[in-house]
Amino acid sequence: MRFWQTLTAVTYKEFITVFRDRTALFFMFFPPLVQIIAFGFALDMDIKHMYTVVLDEDRTKDSRAVVDTFVSTGSFRVVGEARSIEELREYLRAGKARVGIQIPPDFSQRLRRGEGAQVQVLIDGSNSTPALQALNTSLGVGFRYSLLALAQKSGAREVPLEIRPQVLYNPGLRSQNFFIPGVIGLALQIATVFSTALAVVRERERGTLEQLLISPISRPGLMLGKILPYFTISAAMSALLFWIMRGLFDVPIAGDLWALIAATLVYIFTLLSLGLLISTVAENTMQSFQMTLALILPSVFFSGLIFPRETMPWIFYAIGEVLPATYFIDLVRAIVVRGARWSDYARELSILCGMGAFIFAVCSFRFRRTLG
Amino acid sequence: MTSEDVIVECRELTRRFGSVTAVDRVSFAVRRSSVFGLLGPNGSGKTTLIRMLCGVLQPTSGSARIAGFDVVREREKIQGLIGYMSQQFSLYDELTVEENITFYGRIHGLGRQELKNRREELLATMELGENRHKRAHELSGGWRQRLAMSCALVHHPQILFLDEPTAGIDPVARRALWDMLFDLAGRGITLFVTTHYMDEAERCSHVAYIHGGRLVVEGEPDDLKRLPAVNLPGTRRLEVTCDHVTRAMRIIKAQPGVLSATVFGQSMHLLVNDDFSEEEALRKLAEAGITEWDVRQIHPSLEDVFVELTLTSRSQTGERSG
Repeated sequence: MRFWQTLTAVTYKEFITVFRDRTALFFMFFPPLVQIIAFGFALDMDIKHMYTVVLDEDRTKDSRAVVDTFVSTGSFRVVGEARSIEELREYLRAGKARVGIQIPPDFSQRLRRGEGAQVQVLIDGSNSTPALQALNTSLGVGFRYSLLALAQKSGAREVPLEIRPQVLYNPGLRSQNFFIPGVIGLALQIATVFSTALAVVRERERGTLEQLLISPISRPGLMLGKILPYFTISAAMSALLFWIMRGLFDVPIAGDLWALIAATLVYIFTLLSLGLLISTVAENTMQSFQMTLALILPSVFFSGLIFPRETMPWIFYAIGEVLPATYFIDLVRAIVVRGARWSDYARELSILCGMGAFIFAVCSFRFRRTLG
Repeated sequence: MTSEDVIVECRELTRRFGSVTAVDRVSFAVRRSSVFGLLGPNGSGKTTLIRMLCGVLQPTSGSARIAGFDVVREREKIQGLIGYMSQQFSLYDELTVEENITFYGRIHGLGRQELKNRREELLATMELGENRHKRAHELSGGWRQRLAMSCALVHHPQILFLDEPTAGIDPVARRALWDMLFDLAGRGITLFVTTHYMDEAERCSHVAYIHGGRLVVEGEPDDLKRLPAVNLPGTRRLEVTCDHVTRAMRIIKAQPGVLSATVFGQSMHLLVNDDFSEEEALRKLAEAGITEWDVRQIHPSLEDVFVELTLTSRSQTGERSG
């Protein structure tokens, strides 16, 4: 009875407070939206059309055919012609091109005589990801070209070994399909944890906490009453973020929508409880800001959002293990990208549920009945 | 006082924060329906004491009872009996006047109809009716204070603790507040008020003065003014009203037998002993060109009492530690 009365009174009061405090509402919605949009466009790691400069000293049909083969992979785009090897190097050093292709004067002759023609490819190694892509693609171009030439010579119709790779779940290998669901996990985190982290601290600073303490209030009722309004708002925000993911970034939801909703709600509840836990420990707004940031920053690096967790040193892996974001990002990728079934991610979902229940229990217990 | 009459009773109540003793073995009792004034400078432990009595801060040692219930062990039982108005007024700024009262009523477990009646009653007695739909942050100091008091009274407490209720509000609101306090006391509610205004202390039916966490003195204002420690044998208090009072004070202070002299507006209060000669002092004043004066014997004020006792207790502790 007392629980319900506390719950309804606190929930109603918090709802009014949130909706009348427009700046707070704005700062709840604005950062996640900026985050998903900024990350969505910036974290595009698909490497296409790398600036390429050609030094063609052969100038024959054959040499032009080789350059065309490079361009047809989609990885390279010719942006200029160099007249000397020095000029070619100059392009790379100045950062005007990432790749330089040099075709020697005797290329066509050696090719026709079967003496083993050579093409030199210079790659700017300062950024390892595109460099690696350029390296692999150009080696691939060489192999294909050679293979076709050998096949023509021997009259063979089939290559001895053919690899037929099939990329599942994200056939276009779009990095957005991989990143955006994870970024939603990160974006939700900041808005939710901050909102409840400030909720109790604000009462402490305004002196209203003392009033609550001298009243016959129900502790779980108070805690739940603090969480419910932000839970509703965060749920609406999640819906908005997933809608942006589908609409703006064309990431389809392959799996069960209900599973996604369940996972998201459990995650939000866990984060809101975490914020509440912070606010029962923090003495003032500044402290609660710092604690929230201290909890959120590790999840950017150790949750598997950007870097795969399998290859991390054990200590970072262990940190990732206790972050709610780690499990949510796993869950969302499983549901949205791989279309996994309930049984496939039951473990992650139950761990997240356990975390939420545990944190909520701790903060109901921790919420000091007294001030000192 | 019989135990029936006592609503607050603390015994050797102590609270330490680390190495600092904020409240040091304080004992006193408060009579039902009285207006009890707790005085002391900033940092003397007034708020800490109130917080312990309300059960929101644990005492380090000693005990306190409200209406016979121990504030630590029977905390649940005192929650319905006490109201507390803190220095910051403890209001929700985004909520309207009505909503603030409703919220506090709900968390104190008032039913819907009961709450509605009580709210109307409070809005009427506190004259808040016109502002009922205003948000708390739109109210000025005096109105905020009335609202805070309504919130603290919503559940019909037997005792209301007010921590510096008149700090920073205008004189009209201050007077109105005291009128309201006496009205409440008349209805049987005990008021426990902290303040550092001496004129407010004079209005209390019972006062206690704490300094450095220690209770210096407590009792009814008139009794305190008659304390022998304040009225030492062979001394008397005089009020001298004259022109150029600050210049006059320099002259008077140099006279033999003047123990202390303090200016109050156009007059000065003197504490003198038998060595003091009124005729001699007035002659000196006349030499300085101050010819218009009026001298009369007065009783000590509460301020005199507190100053005297603080100085005495300080010198005693000084001797003890030395």
